[in-house]
Formats: sequence, structure tokens, C-alpha cells
Amino acid sequence: MNLHTQLLKGVLEGCILAVIKQGPVYGYELSMILGVYGLVVSEGSIYPVLLRLQKEKLIRGELRASPSGPNRKYYFLTPEGEEALQNFQTSWEELKTSVDRLLKEEI
Amino acid sequence: MKAKEIIHLNNDKRKELNPENLKYYEDMLVYIRLSYNKSQEETEEILLELLEHLLEAQKEGKSAKEVFGESPRLYADQIVGEIPKMVTKERLSFGASIILYFLGASALAAGVIKLVLYIIGKSSLTTDIYLGSVFLKTIISLPLAFLLLYVLLEYIRWSLFRNINKVVEFMIFWLFGLITIGFFFALVYFTPEFGPLWQWPFYGSLILGTLLFALGYGVSKIKN
Repeated sequence: MNLHTQLLKGVLEGCILAVIKQGPVYGYELSMILGVYGLVVSEGSIYPVLLRLQKEKLIRGELRASPSGPNRKYYFLTPEGEEALQNFQTSWEELKTSVDRLLKEEI
Repeated sequence: MKAKEIIHLNNDKRKELNPENLKYYEDMLVYIRLSYNKSQEETEEILLELLEHLLEAQKEGKSAKEVFGESPRLYADQIVGEIPKMVTKERLSFGASIILYFLGASALAAGVIKLVLYIIGKSSLTTDIYLGSVFLKTIISLPLAFLLLYVLLEYIRWSLFRNINKVVEFMIFWLFGLITIGFFFALVYFTPEFGPLWQWPFYGSLILGTLLFALGYGVSKIKN
């Protein structure tokens, strides 16, 4: 596993929550959006995370008719998911500031 | 949607995959479905989702390897690890229906054998059975059947992503079948006759077998 993949693994959950917050998405769509942001290593890697987030009740899936025809499983954020996303945002800001400071040697 | 409807949908949609993607997907599908202690509905939902993703990716000219990674087994293990387990009720109905099907099949097999013997004149309408022996044989054969089933499932899961020579595979299954039959023959042969004696007609076995099968089917329908 390369460095990029390893770093991404830790934040993928939070990123997925952030995408779903912008509006309900289905799996393929989600992977495309993450890809646009340069955040996906292998498309399939989102599904184990989606399953885990559902188990933790941070998101819920619902079958809905899609514009292009077939029923698709769309994901929505639950209130617990909103909370988890906020926690992620706070942690991420803190981590980002700390790492940036260290790298720029402003300690 | 119920698991059965999703399976039908999956069967239809799978036809749209190209041969290379189909092989990858089906290996994964069998492997994931054989994780027998997982909720069936959740299992089928994720399988359909993965299929739909693969179909869209295929339209873009991507292969299953590009989407799910080089190792189907590794990816399938990740998925299986996250699928919720069966709830207790589903687990109980699953286990009970397997036991009932097994007992039903044993009774039907015994009934058919005796029917054939009766038709060719080698046996009378009723045969002597010893209730104690029948009871003991049933008690021993159940865990034995579960053990053999478990070994078989684990073998299939193990062999799925390996290219095992067809001849070797055939020999393995043949040997496995032989061992299975051997076990059950040994059980019938070595169980001593004891307990009250009954005159049991062959159609009794046939009726009992049918009832057990029907009961097993009924129990398997109990869910949530």
C-alpha cells in the first residue's frame, strides 16, 4: 500500500459522510464524486465503508427509482451521521493545523 | 425488496457482464453467499449494488480488477466482514430448517429404498425397526451431517479463487462422496439393535419424510 492510500484510508469515512451530506447519492455516483476530488484509490473500496457506516447507523440506504431507470440504493445521512461528520470536521481541522505547523516548522 | 426478488434481479442483470468481468463477479458472489451466518437480505443487497457498479464501470471500459482490486478474495473478505450477522430468529429458522430437511431427506430415502425392495418382492410391507436404534442413529447423524456440510462449504470457499485442475477437483468430490456414504453406512451397520420393536410400513417413511420437508419449508419462511 502506498502512502497516499494509507493516509486516505483514515479519512475516507469522513469524506463519504461529507459527500452524502451534500445530497443523497448511490454507490457509483459517490465514487465518481470522490474521484473528482482526487480522493478514491479503488472504486470498490467505498462499499465496505458504506456497509460499516450503515451498521453504525450514520447513514441509511433506501431503494429509489433513478432518473436513468433502475432502482438504486441511495444513501442518506442520519442525525447521528451529521454529528459524526461535525466531529470529523473538528478533528480534521485540528490535525491539519498541527501537521501544517510542524511541516512549516513554526513550533 | 425481499432477498428472493433481489436474487432474480441479480440473475437477469448479470447477463450483461462480459465474460471476464462475469468470472470475477461470480467467484465473488459464490464466496460471499457461502458466508452462511450473514443476513441474507443484506448480503443480496450489497451483491446487487456491486453488480450495478460493475455494470456502469464496464460501460466506461473498466474491468472488475480495476474496480475491486487485483484480488477478488481479499475484496470479498472485506465485504463479508462488514455484512451484519443473521439475527437470532433468522439463525434459528435457518438451522431448524436444515435439520428438518436433512431428517426429511433421510426418511424419504429410507422409504424409497423399502418401496423398491417391496416392489421387487425382497421385502414385506412392514419392516422391523428398533426405536432405540433409530433414535441413536438420528442423534449421531445430525452433527455428522453438519460437519460434512461444513467441510464441503469450507472447501468450496477455499477453492473458489484457485484454479484447481478439473480432474483433481472431480477426484476430491468423489472421495468426499465416498467418505460421506461410508460414514452413514458405518452408522447404520454398527448401531446395535435395542429399544422397543416396531412394525413400520414403508409408506410411513414416505409420509413422515414429506411432512418433515413441508415443515422445514414452513420454518425456513419464518423471518423477522
